[in-house]
Parts: sequence; structure tokens; C-alpha cells
Amino acid sequence: MSSYDLQVNGQAYTVEAEAQMPLLWVLRDLLGLTGTKFSCGAGLCGSCTVLIDGEPTRSCITLVENAAGKNITTIEGLAALAQSGASTTSAVEAQLHPLQEAWLEENVSQCGYCQPGQIMSAAALLEKNPDPSDADIDAAMGDVLCRCGTYQRIRKAIHRAAEAV
Amino acid sequence: MKNQLTRRDFIKLVGAAGGGLVLAVSLEACAPDAPIPATVTPLSPNSTPRPPFDWAPNIYLKIDGGGILTVYAFRSEMGQGIRTAIAMMIAEELDVDWSSVRIEQVPADSRYGDQLTGGSVSISSNYSALRRAGAAARQMLVEAAADVWDADPAGCTTEAGFVIHPDQQQRIPYGELVEAAAEKEVPAKPQLKDASAYRIVGKSKGHFDAPRMVSGKAIYGIDVRIPGMLFAVIARCPVFGGTFASYDDSAAKAVTGVRQVVELDDSIAVVAENTWAAIQGRNALKITWDEGKNAGLSSEALRKAAKERLPQPGSKSDVIEAVYEIPFEAHATMEPMNCTAHVHDGICEVWAPTQNPQNVQMQVAARTGIPRGDVAVNVPLIGGGFGRRIQADYAVEAALVSQAIEGPVQVVWTRDDDIQHDYYHDLSVHYVSVERGRVSRPRLQSTGSQSLVPTGAWRSVENFPQAYPTQCFIDEMAYEMKRDPLDLRLEIYSDRAAEVTRLAAEKAEWGKSLPAGHGQGLAYHATFGVTHVAYVAEVSVSEDGRVRVQRVVAAVDCGEVINPDNVAAQIEGGIVFGLTATLKAEATLQDGRMQQSNFHDYPVLRIDEMPVVEVHLVKSDERPSGMGEMGVPPIAPAVANAIFAATGKRIRHIPIRPEDLRA
Repeated sequence: MSSYDLQVNGQAYTVEAEAQMPLLWVLRDLLGLTGTKFSCGAGLCGSCTVLIDGEPTRSCITLVENAAGKNITTIEGLAALAQSGASTTSAVEAQLHPLQEAWLEENVSQCGYCQPGQIMSAAALLEKNPDPSDADIDAAMGDVLCRCGTYQRIRKAIHRAAEAV
Repeated sequence: MKNQLTRRDFIKLVGAAGGGLVLAVSLEACAPDAPIPATVTPLSPNSTPRPPFDWAPNIYLKIDGGGILTVYAFRSEMGQGIRTAIAMMIAEELDVDWSSVRIEQVPADSRYGDQLTGGSVSISSNYSALRRAGAAARQMLVEAAADVWDADPAGCTTEAGFVIHPDQQQRIPYGELVEAAAEKEVPAKPQLKDASAYRIVGKSKGHFDAPRMVSGKAIYGIDVRIPGMLFAVIARCPVFGGTFASYDDSAAKAVTGVRQVVELDDSIAVVAENTWAAIQGRNALKITWDEGKNAGLSSEALRKAAKERLPQPGSKSDVIEAVYEIPFEAHATMEPMNCTAHVHDGICEVWAPTQNPQNVQMQVAARTGIPRGDVAVNVPLIGGGFGRRIQADYAVEAALVSQAIEGPVQVVWTRDDDIQHDYYHDLSVHYVSVERGRVSRPRLQSTGSQSLVPTGAWRSVENFPQAYPTQCFIDEMAYEMKRDPLDLRLEIYSDRAAEVTRLAAEKAEWGKSLPAGHGQGLAYHATFGVTHVAYVAEVSVSEDGRVRVQRVVAAVDCGEVINPDNVAAQIEGGIVFGLTATLKAEATLQDGRMQQSNFHDYPVLRIDEMPVVEVHLVKSDERPSGMGEMGVPPIAPAVANAIFAATGKRIRHIPIRPEDLRA
């Protein structure tokens, strides 16, 4: 076990972990940030996508030792989410990222499980390419899987957010 | 009253309601056509309630002193939108503003009837009860307001959480009326709204949980955190029905963070401080498996045997006939199976992302020896169900591990576990036939694997293997008779079936001229006999056999529509789910075990393969039917028929691969 300094969503954390432990499990099990999802564990589905220094990164295959010292953004940090105890509110009043707002406008989420990874991947895309074409979206989002089949709406939501920005 | 609550039920329900006072209602309230929640009795009728007063006139809702409506969701949410739909139906009849609605998920509780979320029946089987629950509460609030004004209740109206005086001027918010309303008799036959007066039902309300889903705040089963909980990953015999013969856990126990190794009946659990350590520990187990009697099984052999059980083509001369084949399919929910359990003080608390909480309760009770009434099953959000989570295997494991370690534990399945230990959509073979020249629905004879491979419900269950061979075969009949596939169907179908078929064809411009290598295909199916769906798929097939589904035009008749945009979403989702099986993924059995293990060899449809989907809803006054599964069945035949139109190649198995179509 070693000690690692992590910068997550602008907050500094020190964790004790095995060097080989993927960032995903550090976030979920050590820091309690469960918004980043486990699904394939092999970098194949994108549900665990976070931003590391702005780059979309599969946290399930990124070792904690390689994430230390870098800026990590998870879905929880994509926008300031003010509302706590939101389990029973119908309207979350918190500030949302334009992508999150577009996701609500286009009614993207079904089960919602992959959506943090979808949104983080889309955020990285818009950061580099503020007005992506359908082909750009296919290229950036092709490896982010959704079993509920929300792809058509993801595409629309990315275009909508691009217009809003 | 009948079905008086026991003390234990009461405690549980109060727990479920987050501390608010909940009143009892007779069980009959759950039956669609039973009398309205007839007998409502306050559990503490003589005590003066302290503010804030929560009024719960039945098991489906409560209203607090601030006018907030809390709806108790008793079916599982896995993306199909049932939490939202339940709330919409109640809020509509109650006449509250949608922004005043909250939803709480109730645990396993038999007073809600069977809570199994499957068969796409959650709306249809609760439609009357939910509407009457809302309408009865509304009527009691009106009577309470009429008392205040000394007015005629019949002249009072309601709107957005207020009772409005006959003079149209004075109004009282519901919150101020709940104490008085609680004293009113529950009406036996509350007046239901006419559809023309709807303000919520029939308007798209999205997903109630979406704001939390997009912000990472939604709690799925795998996100449940209990103080002191450990994590477990389990080694299961790769061969179905096998067990361990012997094992060496010394390397597993040496993994940092591993706490304990627990033997279950046929499997071995590694318990650790975090999921990663548990995975590492599981991988470090050295196990000799006793593979048992299934070690020789293969899908090839099962398929061959299945074919032999059916009539052999070529034995009759006066029929058109064909054989279609469907492989094993996995569910591959994005959230892998998992469950959190805490056995303590003679009880068991479970947090199960399950479609079937009462089955979990029953099976956990049976396996732990804890009385069923002492097993509390909480249901978090579910990251995809598709039928897989009707089973209770993951929950039983968690309860047994918790019992063994005497503490809270979350059992997590890796993706390999999930793909290799599914309850698969069964492999099947289908012989379809019709007398030559006869215009009618063809005869379908089907058989499954009849093996010990675990099988179970897979989104749309038997409808997918009904629709694929039948709808492809109707196309074969049309070409044999030199008829247009649309015309032939319109001769076979009538009423709602014909209407959706005609609508889809019209919207898709059936028969329009297309570039070379493109084709249109049509299919219709009524899933579970209740929801009518027709698709026209347009595909292109490249020289090297790659199929691209360009567009799918859908026509849907599901009766009265509760949440229209969600109906469209379920069609989009059903198409994607079905396309994965039609063009991409199959689970194959070799040496008694599934060969696939993750998304590289069980590939699901990607965004760059997504067709444009257009959904057209038929306006209908029929009772609502269901939507969760109905989008799946017609897509495979629509695509296969379009491939035939594009290439002249009739492929009678799925998945249809490029090698099947290479020129």
C-alpha cells in the first residue's frame, strides 16, 4: 500500500491504496464517489469515463498511481450540484452543465446507468470540438455503450448542448 | 376491516414511508376492478396527530401539510419509466401540480399484490387502482373544503393542488385540508376524470429520476453503501451445474484487503475491504472444479438436436416451409448483477436491484432460514433489467455471505460473471409452414434447447422467437405468391394490426425507389397480444456484407398513452436491444460453458450503428397495454426482410453476419 494525492473535482484527497488499484475503485469504494460506474472492468464500455486533465479516460483500467497528481473530474464535479438529499425531489434546482441540461431536455436517460460515462465523454468532445458533426459524435462516442438504446437522444442532446454553449 | 395490518407490517410500512403516518387499506384495492380502497382506518384513530401531518388515504400515496404528494412506487424502475408513470396516473386524478410530486420506492410488500416487474404489465394491471386511489383522495379533499365553506361539494372543483369554491374565487391548498380529509369516508366509487380533462397523463413528463441520473446522484444497487460493509466477488463453476471439488485460498488471502474466504454451496466468495481487492482475491483462488454432467454440452449439439425434434423440410410437397434458428442471448445489463445484504439480530436487510422483490424475500428467507417477515427487501434503481433481475440468485448469494461473515456485504459480479452466469434467452429452432397458395398466418412449431443451461425471461420473452420466424416467413410467402409483403399482410391482418401496419408503411413511404444495395423490410407483432407494433426498416448492405440499418419507422398502438415521449424511448430502446441480437451478439456454449465474457465478444449496438428511429403513435381510447418489451420483437424480421429486399438473400438465423451476405 502506498499513499496517493488525488485532485478530484477540485478537492484534494489522500488515499492509501495498492498501486495497481484502478482509479474507478478508488473513486467508488475509497472516496464514496459512486457516480462513476463499473460495468465491463476492461475499458470496453465507457461507463466509467472520467476526465483526467481534460482527457476522457476509462477509470476502470487507469491505475491510481497514474492518476495521482492530475486533475480528475467525475460526473459529480461536472457542474456544481448544490442539492443534497435529492432522493425525493422532482426538480433538482442545482446548476447543471449544459450537457446535463440537454440530457434532460432530450429525455435521454432510461435506466441511466451508462449516462455518467456518456456525459463525461461528450463533455470531453465538446471541449475540443464545440460544434461536432454526427461523424464527430460517432467517432468520440462509439465506444461508450448503452444497452437501453438511448443513442439517438444522446446525439440530439450533444447537438443541443453545442448550440447552447 | 379485512386484512388488518399486523404490527410488523405497520412498522415496515412506516419505515417505507420515511416516518410519515401511513394508513391501512384493504388488499382489494390492488385488484384492477375491485371496489375502491373501501375500508380505510387510521392506525391511531384517536390520537391527535402532530404537525406536520401526513395523510395517506391508501397504500399508494400520502399528502403532507405542505401539499406535497408522495407517491409510493411498488414496481421496479429499470429504465422503462414505471416510477414516473405511476406518479402521473395518481397526480392526474388528484389534480396536483407535477412539481409537487415526490416518489418513494416501497420495499417488498405483499399488500401491493405481486410486485414482479415483468411482462410489461405494471401500468395495465394497476391502471384502475392507481387512478381510483388518486380520485378518492381528491374527493375527500373536496369534501373537507366544502365543510370549511359550507358549500356543496358537487360545485367545488380542483386544480393544481387547490380545491376551488363554487364561486370560482376562494381556494384552499390541499396541504391545509389533509387533517380534515383524513376524517372523511373513503368514497366507494370516486369520479374518474374524463380523458379530455387530463393535464398530466398524455403529456410527456420525461423520467422522474433523470436529474439525479445525469448528475451521478442516482443510487443504483451497486451504489448502496452501508456503514462497515465489505465487498465480495464470487468464483462460480464455469460449467453450468458444476461445483468445486477442492481449492487453495492461500494466495487469495494474501491479497491486500482480502478479509475472508467463504464457501457457499457450489461457489466460493472472497470478501474484502473494497471491490478491487475482492476481484483480485477471487482471481487468486486456485480451484479444481467438479464440472458435473454438463461438461460436454455445446450449442451446436443442442441446436442440432432441436432441429431433429421438428418436422423435416422437404417431406411434404403442398407446403411452403422454412426453418429459422435463434441462439442463446445474454442480457448484458450495463449494471452487473449485485446485491447488498445485512444479516443481523435475526433479520436480514437486503438492497437488491431486482425486478422481483418478493421472490428475493422468499428465496432469501428459504436459504438463510430467517422468517420471510424478517427479510426486508429494499429496491434501489436498476441499471438495466431486461428480465435478468426477475431471478434472485445474486440476492441469495449476498444474504448467505452476510450471514457467514456476520456483517453487511455487497456482492458484485464482474462482467465475465454476468455474461457467463446469466439466465439466458433460450436457443430455439422454428419450423414455419403454410399450405401453398393459402393466405393466412403461417403455422409455427418451435422448440428450445431443452438443456440444463439456465434460461429465463429476456426482454419480450417468447415474443421475439415468435415474431422473427413468423414475420420473415410471411415475407417468404409474399415472394412465393408474387405478392407485395405489405398487401399480403393487409389481407391477413385486420383492425389494430392492420392499422399499425398500414401506418408504418405509409410513413416510411413503403415501396419507394431506393439505391442499389438498399432495401425496405416490414414486420408486425403484438407483444403479449396487447401492444401492436409495426416497423419498416431500411437497410443498406455493402459489397463485403456489412449491414447498416439506416432508418426504422415505427407505428405503435398501446391504447391510451400515459407518457408519450417515453413510449417513443421504449421503441428506440427495443430496436437497439433487438438489433444487437439480430446483427451482433450471441452466446455460444462449448464444453458446458459460455464462451463469451465481455463486450469484445458479446458486442452490443453502438452509437455509430444507430438507425434513425421515427415513432408514430396511434391515438386510442383503449385501456393502456404496455411498452417495456414491445419494441423488441418486430425488429429482427423487419431487418431480415429488408436484407432480403436489398440482396435477395434470405438468412434464416441470427445474428446475421457479413459472411452470410458476402457477394
